[in-house]
Amino acid sequence: MRKIRLIIKREYFTRVKTKAFVIGTVIVPLLGMGFFLMILFLVNRQPTHSYRLAIVDENGALAPSVVQALDRKLSNGRQEFIITKTVDRPALLNDVEQDLRAQVNSSSLDAFLLIPRDLKQSVEVHTNNFSLIQPLSAAVNEALIAQRLSDHGIHVNDVNEIVQGAELKVMRVSQSGESVEKGQTIGVAIAVVILLYTSLLMYGIITMRSVLEEKTTRTMEVLISSVRPFQLLAGKILGVAAVAFTQFLIWMISLALLSSYGVVMAKMVPGSSFSGIHLPMSLLIYTVTYFVGGYFLYSAMFAAIGAACSSEQDAAQLQWLAMVPLVFCMVIYSLILNDPSSTLSVVLSEVPFFSPVLMVLRISLQTPPFWQIALSLVLLLFAIVVVIYASAKIYRVGILMYGKRPTIQELFRWLRYS
Amino acid sequence: MDAISLENVSKSYESVNAVSGVNLNVRPGAILGLLGPNGAGKTTAIRMVMNILVPDSGSIRVFGEPVSDETRESVGYLPEERGLYPHMQVRDVIVFLAALRGLSEAEANLRATEWLDRFELGEWADKKLNELSKGMQQKVQFITAVIHRPPLVILDEPFSGLDPVNATTVKDVMLELRNKGSTIVLSTHRMEQVEMMCDSICLFNKGRNVLDGDLRAIKESYGKNTVRIEFTGADSFLNLAVIAGVNRFGSGVEAKLQPGADPQEVLKAAVQSGARITRFELLEPSLNEIFIEKTAHA
Repeated sequence: MRKIRLIIKREYFTRVKTKAFVIGTVIVPLLGMGFFLMILFLVNRQPTHSYRLAIVDENGALAPSVVQALDRKLSNGRQEFIITKTVDRPALLNDVEQDLRAQVNSSSLDAFLLIPRDLKQSVEVHTNNFSLIQPLSAAVNEALIAQRLSDHGIHVNDVNEIVQGAELKVMRVSQSGESVEKGQTIGVAIAVVILLYTSLLMYGIITMRSVLEEKTTRTMEVLISSVRPFQLLAGKILGVAAVAFTQFLIWMISLALLSSYGVVMAKMVPGSSFSGIHLPMSLLIYTVTYFVGGYFLYSAMFAAIGAACSSEQDAAQLQWLAMVPLVFCMVIYSLILNDPSSTLSVVLSEVPFFSPVLMVLRISLQTPPFWQIALSLVLLLFAIVVVIYASAKIYRVGILMYGKRPTIQELFRWLRYS
Repeated sequence: MDAISLENVSKSYESVNAVSGVNLNVRPGAILGLLGPNGAGKTTAIRMVMNILVPDSGSIRVFGEPVSDETRESVGYLPEERGLYPHMQVRDVIVFLAALRGLSEAEANLRATEWLDRFELGEWADKKLNELSKGMQQKVQFITAVIHRPPLVILDEPFSGLDPVNATTVKDVMLELRNKGSTIVLSTHRMEQVEMMCDSICLFNKGRNVLDGDLRAIKESYGKNTVRIEFTGADSFLNLAVIAGVNRFGSGVEAKLQPGADPQEVLKAAVQSGARITRFELLEPSLNEIFIEKTAHA
């Protein structure tokens, strides 16, 4: 026990003191959040300058309706479109067109519209700014439809009133009562899946690298003269687990601080659903429980792979063995998202290699019967024992083997060594 | 009870017999020099004693116990392929390994300071290992092998990469450990070091133990069949029939005589040929000669 403690301690402190840890813990989430905010900003960004538009109307009747449809103001109070000129039934179409094209090329005009004499033919948008296509085509459509409706003696506002859809308010029913659903359950579910997937993968690979480092630097031979392989393996896995917990703790605390600040901020932004998110404590506890189980399962596999290889390159080729079940979870999770209590969902979420991700996904969507959770935990525990036992065997043989990468058959042969 | 005993031990890799049918007993409290050309099987033998490799046949015991994960914990080991955590500080590595070997961390710290000072690494204690030169890393690694004063120390090529001053320090440490009762096995190519410090030797060639025993006894068994002659003038007398082989040095020669030859005859021939002799000495064969004889013709 003393030796395992020493190994945990070394593993923990050498990792926590590295730049990589600081970067991973502080800078990566900040960057992630920065990107998220930047995307939000870009998506919601309103243009601040007006577009200059010319309209050439061969038909002669539609231009005023288009101008009306484009009559919108920007957030800073300016007109979104400035109609620089309207040419009604030009005599020399080609000359007019050429002149406008030159204006677009010299950037004194953003676009010009060409409305054909026969409205059944296509309306042309001439521009080099493709963000204009959508608003212009919408405006032309609106003008056309209004025109045709009024030809039939119908007023466009009446139609808008008639086709107005019902507003649907979704209430999420759960054991803790009802809450307004604005998609946040799905959001939380996906976030939980991604969080579990990336952290299981990341800490697994850290464990693998750590084993590999002792091999490639030939520290292993010295270590092995003072500790048993199993002590080394156990110390390593627990040490990286301690690092993971430190990292999670820092994230949780900063998240708690940020979200209490964020809720205040969100209330100031109209239409935001941030204030509607609340994480049930039970989900948090299950997430942590399944993460711990999944971590032991996967990091033991990754450690065995690290032990079997002699270089980073070899390991990169063999690590898919442990990654396949995790990647499978990412491929399949949308099925469970759609129907969390289907037979397929229930069966998949009971399989130990998937349950750390998929059972938590189900729990986040709708709490499954308790026996299903209990069964998956028992199966997970059983799998952990078997996998750690097998990994320890591969590890024991592998750590002192150098040379070519073993094949999968050889790995199975190592399992049978005493 | 022997510190190490190998009984008819064999180990082969794919097609090569690395070690075949080796018997060897290492007396406790002695320094054994493990000699042999490259690829003779020394490192394989050491790795089997460390339970890193498993022999194909035969049995190995350390202090009477069959080798296992437990027996290797009583060994201070300096592997041939060595390395330590490159991103750890020198002192931290030493303390970590010493603590793993049973010292309390306070004691490990205390001893680490002593050892670092002894090897003039004091100011490097807080540097990372990958900032140290190869020779310095080697010294750190040597410290980790002996810091816990193990009853058995196995050193695979302890002198490689060390300058003469540090090689002497390493040699002194080994003698000290021996005097305190430790058994030491070292593999090396440096014959002069072996002659200076080893109590017994074991010579490997092509996976076999071709010669082992007490160094003094081995040398005596060869008799004083070598003459060292320093002279100026012609060296034609060296063509004498009783001279089996000549090893030339800057200042003179070492001539090995045919069995039963009389050294007096060489002296007579030299004087007659007109060479001016400044030194004429009867010698036991050097370990170097024994090594070459045992390995070149086998």
